[in-house]
Amino acid sequence: MRLSRRAKTLVAVAAAVAVIAPIAWFWQASLVPDAYSVADMGRHDHGGGAPGGAASTIPVDELTVPADREADVRLTLTAAQERFTLASGREFDGYTLNGSSPGPAIRAVQGQLVEVTLENASVPDGVTLHWHGVDVPGAMDGAAGVTQDAVGVGESFVYRFVADQAGTFWYHSHQVSHEQVLGGLLGPLVITPAAGAGAEVEALALAHLYGGRRTVNGRDGEDRVAAEPGDTVRVRVVNTDFGVMPVWVDGAPFRVAAVDGTDLHGPAEVEGAAVEVAAGGRIDLVFTVPESGVVRVNLSGAALLVGEGGAAASKPPDDVLDLLHYGTKAPVGLAAAAPDREFEFRIGRRPGFLDGKPGFWWTVNGAMTPEVPMFTVAYGDVVRMRIANDSGEAHPMHLHGHHAVVLARDDVAATGSPWWVDSLEVRDGEEFEIAFVADNPGIWMDHCHNLPHAAEGLVAHLVYEGVGAPFLIGGPAGNRPE
Amino acid sequence: MRVVYRILAYVIAAEVALQAAFMAYAIAGLYIWVQDGGVLDSAVLESEDVPFDEAVGFMLHGINGMMIIPVLALLLLIVSFFAKIKGGIRFAVILLLWVALQIFLGLFGHEAAIFGLFHGIVAFAVYGTAFMAGFRAKRPAPEPAVGNAPQ
Repeated sequence: MRLSRRAKTLVAVAAAVAVIAPIAWFWQASLVPDAYSVADMGRHDHGGGAPGGAASTIPVDELTVPADREADVRLTLTAAQERFTLASGREFDGYTLNGSSPGPAIRAVQGQLVEVTLENASVPDGVTLHWHGVDVPGAMDGAAGVTQDAVGVGESFVYRFVADQAGTFWYHSHQVSHEQVLGGLLGPLVITPAAGAGAEVEALALAHLYGGRRTVNGRDGEDRVAAEPGDTVRVRVVNTDFGVMPVWVDGAPFRVAAVDGTDLHGPAEVEGAAVEVAAGGRIDLVFTVPESGVVRVNLSGAALLVGEGGAAASKPPDDVLDLLHYGTKAPVGLAAAAPDREFEFRIGRRPGFLDGKPGFWWTVNGAMTPEVPMFTVAYGDVVRMRIANDSGEAHPMHLHGHHAVVLARDDVAATGSPWWVDSLEVRDGEEFEIAFVADNPGIWMDHCHNLPHAAEGLVAHLVYEGVGAPFLIGGPAGNRPE
Repeated sequence: MRVVYRILAYVIAAEVALQAAFMAYAIAGLYIWVQDGGVLDSAVLESEDVPFDEAVGFMLHGINGMMIIPVLALLLLIVSFFAKIKGGIRFAVILLLWVALQIFLGLFGHEAAIFGLFHGIVAFAVYGTAFMAGFRAKRPAPEPAVGNAPQ
């Protein structure tokens, strides 16, 4: 059969339309509005619980510490976008708080009320502060567009929270965070028990990559803290970067005293093994300075030297400490076997459009943002969550406002100390079973702390029944939490 | 349309060579950076900050391979409907399939390195198919007499 020229052209046009039309449809369907509430995102997942019967709604920004309580620790942090000099002399274009990056270390004693006024001097996109690992009241979480509007240039915002948990934490901007955290808008936060943390020397080792080079406490290469032989030392390691960081110690055996701001139970002495710190995660190491006088805490390319004298850089040990079986068992204090809600957080990846941009994007339970699940809970629920990663890459998962206990990995039950996390490294092919108590009303981001991944859609939310979302993603404040 | 088809096909073939060049450039830069004391780990890899200038090669490889080449291959397919090249559509479809496979192999290479090995081999399939498509489009296929008849 021979077709006329016109018929041939028509067939060609039809074929072209058949190729282009589905692509155009998917593209169009992926576009998100300029402003939307997270409450309207995706699908509400009640995790097997009864869907919402909250009689009244309280907006998330009213979940605060009573205003009449006097602050114990009070300071102002002024954010700026500028070129600055690292403690080691290198110049860097990024962000500062009170003129430096990392920002000042905030210290509080357990139970004190911390009040931080954030002022934005010159960050055009706006800023916020998120208290990473601290289970602050709902209004104080610092997630732009979720719990507050981004603080524009010349504006300010007051954060108030009670430092209930003793441990190592950090703070960072949660507005355009994949750029602002990378650029240094962050700092350490240490909360100590009233009786002290039980060490003669306490030191911070906050690791951050400036321009792809790892620094410790803002110094290239090495930082040093004074200690005498025989001193017990607690080193608070903070990983502010987007990937897991191996930490190993030369010169003394050590114990992992705490993970993500929670003390471990019965941690044994470790020698010849590295400890991995997830992106956003923290570990506290405790050791005794030996007679030789120096201990080197290696942070993969940077190091903290404790004591006097030199210690050369070393290769990381092959063995890695498995926290699933580290320390001794103790009651976790929640009925994980009889949860009120059970959720799945399956991470995948597929081709498609993300707000009109083609690529291979992350999926949560098979759907791409904004069709991600909204995990819905009621106050007091015991929640179990299975995080399964089949996306081809590792994801450090960070749940705001809560600490979860690890029950099992790949169906192998945890046998060590209760392992409470807020930042959990979930490698490709791994499945974690975690549990937590929904005891902190609010709207909480539950996302990958490899922050560019969050910007690529790897974000879900945990929402309490009866909590309203008055803020908008986008909108006049230009809120972009990721 | 025949000329457009040929140009697109040859551009895709040239893109494959560029892809290899970007990787070689970036890996050479990485080696020099490590020699100068740089430490590569997960955090550096995941950081969007570029630790050494040649790392731009990795980014270009990703953007080129996941965005530009697939778009070119799609355009080639659409053009092939109009270009009246014998076997032109078939070659464009095969090329598009190779490109899709190549993207998956590139991404799977993050899970198991063996996929990276195949990624290198399939690159030659993409190159060969694109080159052949362009080469074959040189001579016009004889038009059937009826189609040439004045309207």
